[in-house]
Amino acid sequence: MFRSFLSWRYLLHRRTNLIGIVGVMLGVGALILILSIMTGFLEQTRASVRGTLADFFIRPAPLMEGGDPSVPYEPDRVLEIVRKVPGVRAATPQYSWYGMLAPGGPDTANATEIITRPMDSQQNAIELVGIDVESEFATTGFDDALTQAAMRGTHVADPKDPFARPRGYRPDGLEHPRIVLGDALYGRLRVHRGDELTFLTVVFDPESKTLVGSNKTFIVAGSFRTKDNDVDARRAYVERHVLADFLRTDARYSDVLVMLDDFERDGVRVREELKQKLVAEKLLDGQPAEIISWEEMRSVLLGAIRNERVLMAIMLSLILVVACFSIFAILSMMVTEKRRDIGVLTALGATPRGVMQLFLMIAFWDALVGAVIGAILGTWLAIEIDPFEKWLSKTFHVQIFDRSIYYFDEIPSVVEPLWVAVIVLGAFACALSFAAIPAWRAARMDPLEALRYE
Amino acid sequence: MNSHSASQGELPSVLTARNVKKSFHVAEREIEVLHGVDFTLHPGEILALTGPSGAGKSTLLHILGLLDRPTTGSVSLDERNAWELPNEERARLRNRKIGFVFQFYHLISELTALENVLLPAMVGEATGEYRKNRSRHESAARGMLTNFGLAERLTHRPAQLSGGERQRVALARALLYDPPIVIADEPTGNLDRATGERVLELLFREQAERKFSLLFVTHDERLAVRCQRQMVMVDGLVHSNAAV
Repeated sequence: MFRSFLSWRYLLHRRTNLIGIVGVMLGVGALILILSIMTGFLEQTRASVRGTLADFFIRPAPLMEGGDPSVPYEPDRVLEIVRKVPGVRAATPQYSWYGMLAPGGPDTANATEIITRPMDSQQNAIELVGIDVESEFATTGFDDALTQAAMRGTHVADPKDPFARPRGYRPDGLEHPRIVLGDALYGRLRVHRGDELTFLTVVFDPESKTLVGSNKTFIVAGSFRTKDNDVDARRAYVERHVLADFLRTDARYSDVLVMLDDFERDGVRVREELKQKLVAEKLLDGQPAEIISWEEMRSVLLGAIRNERVLMAIMLSLILVVACFSIFAILSMMVTEKRRDIGVLTALGATPRGVMQLFLMIAFWDALVGAVIGAILGTWLAIEIDPFEKWLSKTFHVQIFDRSIYYFDEIPSVVEPLWVAVIVLGAFACALSFAAIPAWRAARMDPLEALRYE
Repeated sequence: MNSHSASQGELPSVLTARNVKKSFHVAEREIEVLHGVDFTLHPGEILALTGPSGAGKSTLLHILGLLDRPTTGSVSLDERNAWELPNEERARLRNRKIGFVFQFYHLISELTALENVLLPAMVGEATGEYRKNRSRHESAARGMLTNFGLAERLTHRPAQLSGGERQRVALARALLYDPPIVIADEPTGNLDRATGERVLELLFREQAERKFSLLFVTHDERLAVRCQRQMVMVDGLVHSNAAV
């Protein structure tokens, strides 16, 4: 009985114990807050990059280097097989090609400036993606991207038919196919709906068997906006058959995008089934790179955030270690100071084990009070981080979170109860481990010396 | 007078020590402080252990109080050799059978007078057991403190009490479990004469009422002569042992 009662009294009557409590509180609170924000970033980033990606990308054999040339160049057979696999919600073919875009028409000065502008030199290369509108809408989030609030672009005239002729566009002679630009790309090129754009690239000429420069003019139909800045700055969509006709390659597609009903649940199984069936039909060689998931596609970005989260957790754990070290220091002092009490308690019937538990209990209270307050504060701050950051920014006139940098307008935060429990338990384990040394010393202390003298 | 034998075989004993020797290692030298002491404390007896400083009184007291292990020899309490018992059982004997009163009171400064008196029960009982017995212990502690003139001081901390009051609290603490043995180490050594006298009166009064065996360690000849028996130690040996 005396262990919990007396340890609590010692805790309350010695103000320096507050250092340990505050330390544990800060450590636990900071860890919960930062891990929640980093998890929020990860979740938001996953959602953002996933919004423009399907669950799986299939790159069939003929399109891979050394692939089987007997495999059909049209995606129909692949699509037919893929769509029959249970768990697959939709699939669509895409054709990706890289090149440069320049405003066409009479404004060649503007085009030259944009293409040769040093500051944009790394952004001039864009990915032109050929899509089949109907299946694309069913598979990816492209239809959503067409209706997102535009920052620098202009919506297409009809989101259900994005490649329709823009309102007010009157073809002057040959009617050019339409192109839909990413929001940032639209702004950078300083174009408007109905303007002409020229796509410049290099294609393989089957007649001369050499690479030749080629270009095609498109009409700007509007813009789309995803939550992925990189996509918005570097991607443009056209109809797949238009791109395939222009490129004059054998293959009429580069990828088949597959969306599942539930990726988390069925991902592993569907991937294996797709692989087996497509390999059996000789549409795939069975190489791992032929079917990749959206997570693998963005593994560098997601992996970087995961790494940052682990690093932050390790760094902030140091606060806990310092707090526990202060508990160790305070308890060490206390053991020396309470030597007489240890003697009295021994005389009154306490065992060395009881004395050790008494000092361990002080660390236990330190950890309990600190961890509980820290967990409550950390969780509350994690939930209210966005208004709190706005209040801080307003009060101190400093921009803490620059929303223009990220895909999201609010600081994301996801409180994981399991993490909170692990952090709280970690704080206990840390505090008790550090307290074990002075507690063990107290248990081994000879109480007689203290009893003899005042 | 037999300088070694303190045995009075025909009478029962509550605490017995046989051929107790105690050595300490100081700078690689072994110094023997007790050279083979025999000791017996009879039920209800008041015994004064006296002698000059360095005679080994405190060492013997700690060995008899089961706080220090003798180098050789035995200490028996309730017919059991206490130093052959496991730690927990020896601690329980200290808790239930022996009450300590120290020269410097040794109260816990963070606890009130009442809580200090309750401390043996808190140490000796598990949480559930203590909660069950709490009202009984509290009523005993309150009764004793009131009886000792400290009714108004129950919630005061040691720092708020005078020396005499602290020693009275310490006495109440020693008596909470109504132990058969009370060991008092210079209980008035830190008090002025009048206050010390009042504390002694209280101690003798309680002894007369509760009939516990009382072992004093004292330098005070006037106190020693008030005891039933006086045991004088010189140089780690019992020099004389006789009824007063």
